[in-house]
Amino acid sequence: MRPDGKLPPPHPSLAPLPQRPQQATGTDMDPHARLPDPVPSPILKHSPSISRSLRSAADTSSVTFAADFRSPSKPESTSPSFDSFRTARSRPSSVSRSSTRRSASERAGSQRDLRDEDARFVYINDAPRTNAPPAMFPDNSIRTSKYSVLTFIPRNLYEQFHRVAYIYFLILAVLNFVPQLLVLSKEAGVLPLAFVLGVTAVKDAYEDWRRHRSDKNENNRTASVLADGVFRPKRWKDIQVGDVVRLVANETLPCDMVLVSTSDPTGVAYIQTINLDGESNLKTRYAKQETMSTPPEALAGVIKCEKPNRNIYGFLATVDLNGRRAISLGTSNVMLRGCELKNTVWAIGVAVYTGRDTKVVLNSSGAPSKRSRLETHMNREIIALAVALVVLCSVVSLLAGIWMGDHVDQLGIIPFFHKYDYSGAAAHDDGRYNWYGTGAQVVFTFMSAVIQFQVMIPIGLIISMELIRVGQAYFMVQDNRMFDEKSQARFQCRALNINEDLGQIKYVFSDKTGTLTQNRMEFRCASVQGRDFSETDGGEEDGHAVQADGVVLRPKTAVTTDPKLAALLKDGMGAKASRARDLFLALATCNTIVPIVEDTVNPAAKLVEYQGESPDEQALVYAAAAYGHKLVERTSGHIVVDVFGTRQRFDVLGLHEFDSDRKRMSVIIGCPDKTIKLFVKGADSSMFGIIDKTLNPDVVQATEKHLHSYSSVGLRTLVIGVRELSQSEFQEWQMAYEKASTALLGRGNLLRSVAANIERNMRLLGASGVEDKLQDGVPEAIEKLREAGIKVWVLTGDKQETAISIGYSCKLLTRDMTQIVINSNSRESCRKSLDDAISMVNKLRSLSTDSQSRVPLALIIDGNSLVYIFDTDREEKLFEVAIACDVVLCCRVAPLQKAGIVDLIKKRTSDMTLAIGDGANDVSMIQMADVGIGISGQEGRQAVMASDFAMGQFRFLVPLLLVHGHWNYQRMSYMILYNFYRNATFVFVLFWYVLYTGYTLSTAINEWSSVLYSVVYTSAPTVIVAILDKDLSRRTLLKYPQLYGAGQREESYNLRLFIFIMVDSVWQSVVVFFIPYLAYKNSAIDSASLGDLWTLSVVILVNIHLAMDVIRWTWITHAVIWGSIVATWICVIIIDSIPTLPGFWAIYEVMGTALFWALLLAVIVVGMIPHFAAKAIREHFMPNDIQIAREMEKSQDSRDANQPEVQMSTSTRA
Amino acid sequence: GDPGLPSSAMYPLEMEGNSNPKTTNKPKYSKFTQQELPACKPLLTPEIVIAAFALIGALFVPIGLASLHASRQVVELVHRYDASCVPVDDKVGFIQNSRTDKTCTVTMTVPKYMKSPIHVYYLIDGFYQNHRRYVRSRSDKQLRYKSAAHLTSDCVPEGDTADHAPIVPCGLVAWSLFNDTYTVRVNGVVTQVNKKDIAWKSDKNNKFGKNIYPSNFQKGRLIGGATLNESIPLSEQEDLIVWMRTAALPTFRKLYGRIEKDINANDNVTVVIQNNYNTYSFGGSKALVLSTASWIGGKNNFIGIAYLTIGGLCLSLAMGFLVLYMVKRRNFGDPSNLSWNR
Repeated sequence: MRPDGKLPPPHPSLAPLPQRPQQATGTDMDPHARLPDPVPSPILKHSPSISRSLRSAADTSSVTFAADFRSPSKPESTSPSFDSFRTARSRPSSVSRSSTRRSASERAGSQRDLRDEDARFVYINDAPRTNAPPAMFPDNSIRTSKYSVLTFIPRNLYEQFHRVAYIYFLILAVLNFVPQLLVLSKEAGVLPLAFVLGVTAVKDAYEDWRRHRSDKNENNRTASVLADGVFRPKRWKDIQVGDVVRLVANETLPCDMVLVSTSDPTGVAYIQTINLDGESNLKTRYAKQETMSTPPEALAGVIKCEKPNRNIYGFLATVDLNGRRAISLGTSNVMLRGCELKNTVWAIGVAVYTGRDTKVVLNSSGAPSKRSRLETHMNREIIALAVALVVLCSVVSLLAGIWMGDHVDQLGIIPFFHKYDYSGAAAHDDGRYNWYGTGAQVVFTFMSAVIQFQVMIPIGLIISMELIRVGQAYFMVQDNRMFDEKSQARFQCRALNINEDLGQIKYVFSDKTGTLTQNRMEFRCASVQGRDFSETDGGEEDGHAVQADGVVLRPKTAVTTDPKLAALLKDGMGAKASRARDLFLALATCNTIVPIVEDTVNPAAKLVEYQGESPDEQALVYAAAAYGHKLVERTSGHIVVDVFGTRQRFDVLGLHEFDSDRKRMSVIIGCPDKTIKLFVKGADSSMFGIIDKTLNPDVVQATEKHLHSYSSVGLRTLVIGVRELSQSEFQEWQMAYEKASTALLGRGNLLRSVAANIERNMRLLGASGVEDKLQDGVPEAIEKLREAGIKVWVLTGDKQETAISIGYSCKLLTRDMTQIVINSNSRESCRKSLDDAISMVNKLRSLSTDSQSRVPLALIIDGNSLVYIFDTDREEKLFEVAIACDVVLCCRVAPLQKAGIVDLIKKRTSDMTLAIGDGANDVSMIQMADVGIGISGQEGRQAVMASDFAMGQFRFLVPLLLVHGHWNYQRMSYMILYNFYRNATFVFVLFWYVLYTGYTLSTAINEWSSVLYSVVYTSAPTVIVAILDKDLSRRTLLKYPQLYGAGQREESYNLRLFIFIMVDSVWQSVVVFFIPYLAYKNSAIDSASLGDLWTLSVVILVNIHLAMDVIRWTWITHAVIWGSIVATWICVIIIDSIPTLPGFWAIYEVMGTALFWALLLAVIVVGMIPHFAAKAIREHFMPNDIQIAREMEKSQDSRDANQPEVQMSTSTRA
Repeated sequence: GDPGLPSSAMYPLEMEGNSNPKTTNKPKYSKFTQQELPACKPLLTPEIVIAAFALIGALFVPIGLASLHASRQVVELVHRYDASCVPVDDKVGFIQNSRTDKTCTVTMTVPKYMKSPIHVYYLIDGFYQNHRRYVRSRSDKQLRYKSAAHLTSDCVPEGDTADHAPIVPCGLVAWSLFNDTYTVRVNGVVTQVNKKDIAWKSDKNNKFGKNIYPSNFQKGRLIGGATLNESIPLSEQEDLIVWMRTAALPTFRKLYGRIEKDINANDNVTVVIQNNYNTYSFGGSKALVLSTASWIGGKNNFIGIAYLTIGGLCLSLAMGFLVLYMVKRRNFGDPSNLSWNR
């Protein structure tokens, strides 16, 4: 397939391609697709906080960069700043850390040489020497499992006890063992904690077992490793640093290795990094000529490389081949574990990082953990309950003290107190039995009371919430309506603790490219030599197939062409036509696209797919192909382009890759006619600076006009220029380039200035317009979200015109909106326009007091202005304007600014924020927002990895928030309140009884029942109801998005509801306790019988309370609620069938009396009357929206039930 | 997921989207997974509310009347004797002195015909049989298993004798066994008080061992109450069994025996009491109760009154809601009531 060897070797003077040093400067955060990016990556600054870092980004790029790069006096200056940045962020995460560290280390790398103490020495093909002490590198086995059989129990317990609540329960369980406090029996005292720990441990063990299994598979794969001069298969886990490994096409790399030779004579190997960063395109890696020339068996030398780190885009090393000059190695010379070798017959590498040192393992940490809003609020109520607990315990111990004080003379002989031990032989009555004085006794009573009433703080709540979230996540993942057919992407729940936050979102911050739009670029129009070719009406959709060696090659994607332009290119004569051809030649060559030929069913036809890192470039190359300039082959040294059927070979003499600082890329091409051409392609803002306007002023003017009109219809534009280089110019460049690329210090900067030197006096060829199509259903989704009271902010790196036009097309902006545009180039003008905006907002607000005549406002602000605003501490004013606006559109913002904008809202309001994005540049914002959503799209997996939830399409936000979010919030809120209520009711019943036991902590309720109460008797219904119950149907929720407001207004969980349910809890406990108390006063009732009655009453009461609030009754709900009551009854019967417990047979005896049943019925009815009546009043006389919607749903359902019959009767008649 | 990426194994719920594009990744459709199980969605409509209250009212009023009637049929005589049976001021000294004569006679007139069986109870007030120090001071294993006689650790300080022999039955509960005795005369004729089958059958058969005999009981320096006949097994010591079913509340009655003979109205009942039990040390009181029984238990007006009250309340709530619903009508499921339409 690749005509290797047939062609002459690459240009002799050209060393293997540059080591892509520019990549270090921030393309990481800003992939190629993000062409228009006005602000340099701001992570380069020493910034203790977001706002300061944003401010720092204000300094114009070149100055800052230069200062930072050219200060070898403080080479370490960057690292500490990142640490402070990270701590200031307070939520560090794997991805942001890796990206910040990446740039830090790379810059450090370009400044200084690798110091010996910071390096690892790898002796090629000499693993024993490499691994000899003190090196001791890890082997290549990986272990994602957390535990082994031996360490499981201690480690798992250690991890579980990181929760403060569990420590509280542990202390209580231990306290219970103090002999003076033995409130519960030893077994019963530890049971609740043991149960909760056990359930979690089983869950963890299962997860870990799965990891063990996958680790084992992974470690036992084989690779061929050089041993004694022959390549032999070796298991992955046995590969060591220093081993020479040989790979063939489509094999996965077992470890991180330096490429030493490949089947390609120029040393190119292609790898796919989908497992590493999710990017499906092929990336090129190069073997050094020096290592290629030696056969692998004879290869000897030492590689000095940096210590293992997480940076997958950086690598710094030198190789010393037996005393020869050290050759520097970079990112382009390493292949990382997890990647696959593609389109390369074989490749040989030296293992440098193995096992847990590999970058993929270092990068694999779980999703960042966030806490849900509800959980934070819940802590407030838990503190209230803790206070209540202390009050109860104080009351009991105080009363106990008073009682003991009153009876202090009698305590010695009171038969039920028996202060002295009379059994001793001593004549006097001094032997005290369990008596330490009144004061100590009061303290003991207090502590016993804490143990007795401990469930006031519900132990089961934490584990219940975990189970509920797993259940809710299951249904979200399973939801067919959130499955993306196109990408086959399911919904993913990566964070399992913020499900309910989805129901309270007030602000949505959305990325544009790839999120609102498909990031699938389509070439739309071109401005060629001042002429606009955007009429594609009469054009045919042309892939422009070409024939070669009897095989038809056809590009995979066809592009509709403008017939006039096609004709001009094909048959046009003269300078104009040749310039037009140059333009398309530039599009075909000035890129980093690799053509991949795929077989089809027809052996005579093949498809060419253009693989590349930037979708814009792909679209341009496909367009060039459609217009007759078809890229057929690319190696490191040459490019073959099929120009209208004739193959032409162009030598690639030099390449300056795209970087976000220059915002352009250039390529130097040696043409077949021996001319040397420099093609430059880039964003208009950067291109017009280097174009010589005197060469063709009319073209420049016309092109500028076209560019404006292109971007106003939402197209992404690029400007293309050309310059012919003379031989001397080229040689000058070549020398400078070679010097720069071999420099040890400041390589990146040197290369940049080389590029700047050559990229000047360009002749404008034209411009291209590429359309980024909207994702499906975006306008509708935005409409729904807006109706739901969610403010949608779009943050994009695109320029203002593009952003506004996309804003219109996705219905974010409407014609009736008043736009406030802040787009300033200086501090002063920015301040002025902000002040103007505030006065405008105030004026409009005073004009329209009622909501009907309110003028909708849209704020459009660009990144530069944001920088000035943050710089001059006018954030408050910006916030004021922003919240008054219905829509906010931020254009030309840098990744960290996105996070800053999210933070602007988060800091000043208590409203919940959600950020949604698909690219690496959205990571900071995704992590900053309360809820981060990643779109599993084309731009790799970085956003997904950093997100809490991931899905395939923007429009799934609607079912996710409006349906699942609403449900989750409603259910979880209810569940938490219900848990408080149910445990408090039980505790109050225990408390009332204590008042009748001489203030001693004894219970009539069997101690086993009291520990089983919250973990077994009443827990299952809460979990099941919180997973399955739904207040409204999906259809209603989608039809009336306003219903989402319930969550935003915190209607389901607030202090008022908490107080209500607590009052109910006190009332029910009074009923449960005092009705039987009054009935059994002076009777022969024994404690076990009365205790059983109380147990059953409480359990039935709280379950009926739940049943009354359940909205959808499926068979599962029935089974679990009524089943729980039955199960309790069975448990009570079983406990009372044990002869050695004091309560033996009590339940049988008491169930035989009519009074028992009469009391049970009375307790349930009296207990429920207030809740029932209050519910009836609330639902009828003060219905909320949800209630009314439920009623509408009910009438709709009954109408639907009648509908089919009507239809049947009409159809039979017809 | 791909095994080459450890992160893919990190989370079980994470479904990798693009891992296998050939087979469809779409979640399988089922009513359960799509949350479309058939469900009933009851609403609290005015009709249901009124009906529920009316129904409860209609149910509770008759039950209340019936139980009140039953309670009124019960004849109950209560005579407190703790103060009247001690002639001296130093009541504790009197009761602790084993040589004084503690016989005491009380006389009651029966107001209504009492049908047998007539239950004889002793009623004690102020005795916390549910006190934590007390209620745990027992060994249920020892009561049932011969081999468990030594298990007295919970019984301290009435677990072992001074020379470390286990006390059977041990603990404060058994130690404080009630020991007043009653001899009943109806119109001067001695009437048998049957003390058989006063304890639960289950206790006699399964909780107290048939081969376990009292030993070392009440041998300490402080006598708590009754002594036990060491030749009778625990399972036959019914007074002990009744006593050891500890009462739930500090005022309680326990069955002493039954008179299996009817007593006519205006008959004189004379009870000769051996007033041995010390309730004076903690200021408690003792009373003798003679009572017949009904299906609702003993004399218990509370439950009847409670039911009538609840029933009445529910009926008036039903009326109240009816009026409220009439006065303030609201269209069921009217979209114009939605907050954003108002």
